[in-house]
Amino acid sequence: MAVTAKAIAAPSGTTSAPASKSFSSDFPQLLMGIVLIAMTGLGPSMLGNSYWEHTFQLVNIYVAVAVFQNFLFVDAGQKSFGQGAILGLGAYGFAIAVGLNGLPVIIGLLAGIVAATAGGLLFALPALRVQGFHLGFVTMSAGIVFPQLLVQFDWLTRGINGISVKLPGLTDPLLFGLSPMTLIVTLFPILALLLHFVLRQSPLGRRMRIAAESPEAARSLGIRPGFMRSLAFVIASVGTGISGVLYVPAVGFISPQGFLVDLSFVFFFAVVVGGRGQLLGPIIGIWIIHVLPTIILVQLIDYRLLVYGILTLLVVILFPDGVVGTFESWRRKRSQVGGGERGFRLDRFTDAIRSMVPVTGKPSDVPIIEVRNATKKFGQVVAIEDVDMVVRPGEIHGLVGANGSGKTSLLNVLTGLSRLNSGTYSFNGRDVTRVPADAIAKLGLGRTFQTPRMFPSLSVWDNIRIGLDARDEALEPEFATLAQSLDRDFANDSPALLSHGQRRLVEVVRVVFKQSSILLFDEPAAGLSPEERAEFADLVRLLSRTLGKAIILVEHDLDLVWGIADTITVLETGRVVASGAPAVLAKDPAVQHLFVGGRHA
Amino acid sequence: MLSEIIIIVVRGIAIGSIFSIIAMSFNVVHNATGIFNFAQGNIFILGGFGAYLLANQVGLEIWLPVLILVTLAIGALVALQGWITLLPLHSSVEQDSWLISTVSVSVIIGAVLLLTLGPFPFNVQGPVPGFRLMGSKTPGAYGLAIAAMVAWYLVLRFFLRRTFTGLAISALSQDFDAARAAGLPVRRLQIAAFAISGLVAGSVGFMVAPMVSVSPDAGMRYVLNGFVAAVVGGIGNNTGTLIGGPLVGVIAMLTAYKIGGAYQDLASLLVLVTILMLWPQGLFGRAAARRV
Repeated sequence: MAVTAKAIAAPSGTTSAPASKSFSSDFPQLLMGIVLIAMTGLGPSMLGNSYWEHTFQLVNIYVAVAVFQNFLFVDAGQKSFGQGAILGLGAYGFAIAVGLNGLPVIIGLLAGIVAATAGGLLFALPALRVQGFHLGFVTMSAGIVFPQLLVQFDWLTRGINGISVKLPGLTDPLLFGLSPMTLIVTLFPILALLLHFVLRQSPLGRRMRIAAESPEAARSLGIRPGFMRSLAFVIASVGTGISGVLYVPAVGFISPQGFLVDLSFVFFFAVVVGGRGQLLGPIIGIWIIHVLPTIILVQLIDYRLLVYGILTLLVVILFPDGVVGTFESWRRKRSQVGGGERGFRLDRFTDAIRSMVPVTGKPSDVPIIEVRNATKKFGQVVAIEDVDMVVRPGEIHGLVGANGSGKTSLLNVLTGLSRLNSGTYSFNGRDVTRVPADAIAKLGLGRTFQTPRMFPSLSVWDNIRIGLDARDEALEPEFATLAQSLDRDFANDSPALLSHGQRRLVEVVRVVFKQSSILLFDEPAAGLSPEERAEFADLVRLLSRTLGKAIILVEHDLDLVWGIADTITVLETGRVVASGAPAVLAKDPAVQHLFVGGRHA
Repeated sequence: MLSEIIIIVVRGIAIGSIFSIIAMSFNVVHNATGIFNFAQGNIFILGGFGAYLLANQVGLEIWLPVLILVTLAIGALVALQGWITLLPLHSSVEQDSWLISTVSVSVIIGAVLLLTLGPFPFNVQGPVPGFRLMGSKTPGAYGLAIAAMVAWYLVLRFFLRRTFTGLAISALSQDFDAARAAGLPVRRLQIAAFAISGLVAGSVGFMVAPMVSVSPDAGMRYVLNGFVAAVVGGIGNNTGTLIGGPLVGVIAMLTAYKIGGAYQDLASLLVLVTILMLWPQGLFGRAAARRV
């Protein structure tokens, strides 16, 4: 086990840093979680107490469900109040196949997983359209309806009589007084926790978290949030379904009463009370929400719901981060590194590009972006009207205009985040007027946002790395070396300590790492110091001249734009009022008023 | 056959009126805070509980003052809930702590009802006499439910459009920061909105108790159907709930008549999913501009 864990920990790059300075505490939490699960799973059997053995088998199954709920809720951002129903589907799938129809256990396992996954996909379907409390209501309703249906379909489920299943082979002691059942029920939540940990370290897990926190940023990195949500529901359902299958031999009997909506609340509350997004959270949460009332209040079983409710309410108000989360944020505050002098700068980036061989040869004549007669309205409000714009490969194209002139609306159209009402948009000669943002991103477009999309749950390096995750091609060797040095220096830095300007630069570096032939920067220089501004101008020039990337620069700093752009388009109330070379435009009367006080006289 | 249909439709509209009222009480809080109070169903049941404890089988002269008393008590309770819910929300409503705190308040109310009443539903007698509809005896509460829906709709409409406090609460739904900048006491108005939602749901829970099976787990049914009514009508739109509620009610009654009473919640869930998949803004909602 230790060998596997170490092998997994290695890529996170924490090997050299002392543990207390690490940005994420996922790894120590994973170890603690494994120890806790192993203790509760194996302890009672080793002590030979069969009452506790049964109690804690169920506890460990609930822990596994809560681990998947935690993943679904935080990593994928899906608030499901119906995981109890998914657990029930798994249990009923197995019990109907094995208990009622005498099918082999393996078929029962499959039936349970299939039933749970089907339920999870039903949840995912509305999640494609709606989020937040809508989804909460839909899943809660499903949790309410599920036991009602179990009662109604009594020809299939035996209704309120329930199904009892005995699998004697599983409960005979195998070694050291441990039965196969005990071993399986101990191992499964450990595997679930390990899976959660591994997913978090993987590009897929990072992309899932981005899709959850900022769907626009995700789409601009070529991620389909809907696909990520469905995938998360499938992963969580398979895991919860297996838990449901294990529930059957652990309890020996299932009935609709066992899967009321209250059970779904137990899992949800456990995650919240334990600490949303903390690996250890669901374990501590199940202990507080389920184990404490079951053991301490065993005489007062009726008060259990009241205790759940009050505990959860108190935790939300007093410790919004949950028990583990409160410790974790306290630890993070003390051990936070980064910021200040060590904050993020672009110089090593520009140095790396300088060392590269410039692209040679005449760039293609096909415009990388060509927009014709583009109009975009929001209701009665015209955001852009009849706009023509052409950007050629390698060109630096400035987009200027007052606030509300339609610059960001135009960027959103180019990114594919909003769709034109009329007109055409082609990318590299291909019509993409009706192509969604993630597909345009894959064609080679990258962008930054006016408010930088930083992900506080990821370290500074991981915030950059999500750009690399979006690549299919290998990195240039110079960039690969650079990536290694960034990994070394920023793997444990907290984005919370970056200044606003530095956050912009992190986002810029993220999209530069993304495979792209054109980059859209939305007010990148706002909040930068003069030196940072100069470095940024340098970077843009190098990206264009050395790497041959086209750049669209939306910016209020006209000195910066006039200093580096090849072409400038001026927007006013959604229309193009002038477009051309900077020197020519500076003399254009339509543009003159942009320069207050005649800076460019 | 025709008379059966008429009875089903009238009863459906009456039950739907309750859903519509719960949807309105959702909307008041949602417009002012962005919060959806998951406990609204149990708050409604709490009104029925008041009717059972204090005003069962009494004349109108006792029933009416107790109604006002229970309504005010529930209003105060929900104001307290609102205060607690809003506590952790210093900066923005985007945090999801309210989702959890309102669900846990719902669980707490349900648990308290379970501890004081036991799990079985109980009957409440109202002071309003029943009437005959197409030859079938109909409890007076059905008429009362429809009347309460119309009355609360008009009161809320007047309050939100004609009074200063109401206008201020309506302004919150447009822009919190602008409202704060304009000097409105945002937090106090939001708590007022919670209180109003309590008055609406609590009073109606009391009035229609005879047609509701008042039990600790009944609240779930009403919170679900109230939400479906709000979604069908377009969230935030009280006029939409006048159609949304009765529509959901009639569908529930038809389901009970044609397929079986146990499938009513399933029918509501299917309506909910269908509306969300096809018209996420509801049938009468306004399309919101996207924010990037």
